[in-house]
Amino acid sequence: MFGEKVIELLKEAERNRETIDLYNDEKIRQIIQEMHVLFKMNMSDANATTENKTLWTTVQVRHSALERNKRCLLAYLYNRMIKIKTLRWEFGSVLPPDVRELLSDSEYDWFSKYSTNLATYMRSLGEDIGYSGIDLTENLRPPKSLYIEVLCITDYGKLELEDGDVITLKKNSRHFLPTSECQTLIRQGVLKQII
Amino acid sequence: MSSSNYLSISDILVTNEKVPCKFLLDLPKMGFLDPSAAENDLKAGTNIEIPLWLAESLYTRRPPLVSVDLPKIYKETYREILNADACTVDMHKLGQHFYELGCYIAKHDIKSEVSATLLNTYRQRFKMILSATVSTDSINSVQPLSASERERTKSAVVTERALSSWLKIGDCPLTTASMIANHRKRKRAEMELS
Repeated sequence: MFGEKVIELLKEAERNRETIDLYNDEKIRQIIQEMHVLFKMNMSDANATTENKTLWTTVQVRHSALERNKRCLLAYLYNRMIKIKTLRWEFGSVLPPDVRELLSDSEYDWFSKYSTNLATYMRSLGEDIGYSGIDLTENLRPPKSLYIEVLCITDYGKLELEDGDVITLKKNSRHFLPTSECQTLIRQGVLKQII
Repeated sequence: MSSSNYLSISDILVTNEKVPCKFLLDLPKMGFLDPSAAENDLKAGTNIEIPLWLAESLYTRRPPLVSVDLPKIYKETYREILNADACTVDMHKLGQHFYELGCYIAKHDIKSEVSATLLNTYRQRFKMILSATVSTDSINSVQPLSASERERTKSAVVTERALSSWLKIGDCPLTTASMIANHRKRKRAEMELS
């Protein structure tokens, strides 16, 4: 039956909606291979329709299958693109190596370009009123207080604060930090807010 | 096929469901579509189940290559069951994409009873789902839901929880008190652990 491999591919993606999977290079190659075969069969049958008129129905069935495969592949790539966009907002401009290796090369290119675009846009914000840009990935929720208490979940290393102090973030250590300095780390899962 | 859904994975999965079809013309070399046939060619008049995407695209050709029949869950017998009491139906088993597939199928139903059944089913089940989401523990007691119903239920539960927590924070002294209590509880637990 046509288009079964591509459905496997999409079901895989659908199961894991919250996270991104490894780019399935192997399966995509197989699908494109299948499409090439279908296309070649259609070419030869389409040329033969002059003698055998009944063949055009077969050509149409194969053509539908080709269109279906194309649609599914595009949907796969598109849905990954949406997720990669989210990666930029949640992980920041530098991806951890274990996330980086889930993307294909062209996807990583796209990520870098998107990241640059976003950064350029954020720098340009508020220029006319004297600000040198706003980081839109901060303050996604209105801050309730200037300082919050946080618990460190992983061994992060040294963090230099805006006032020049350097603190060491070790696993299970607690800190009382300015909200503006630690909210990115909270979003990245390095710190956890203690209420 | 509506173009707005072109990139939607869930629509692709819906259109992957099989529907019974009758082929109106001969299809050379397409015998493999019918698993019970040994011949190389598919003869006109063959009844087989093919995925909806293939059926839709062959149906819209001029002249159409197939005529689409109703899948059994949209036929008279099942329609009667659904119209009697839709809330007792196990939608997970009946059809993961009952409503979505129904919307595609409805136009192949000459008497247009399918669309009425869909609407009626949704109306009945919506009440059940709504009341289940408001109370926290009854969600598991309702009959299994279809994929889109599950989705909707999940977001309803999240919204409900967000609303009630927002309402509670408006209630200042009590929240502070309970938060302090929780904090102390945690501290005590930590002290006991260490």
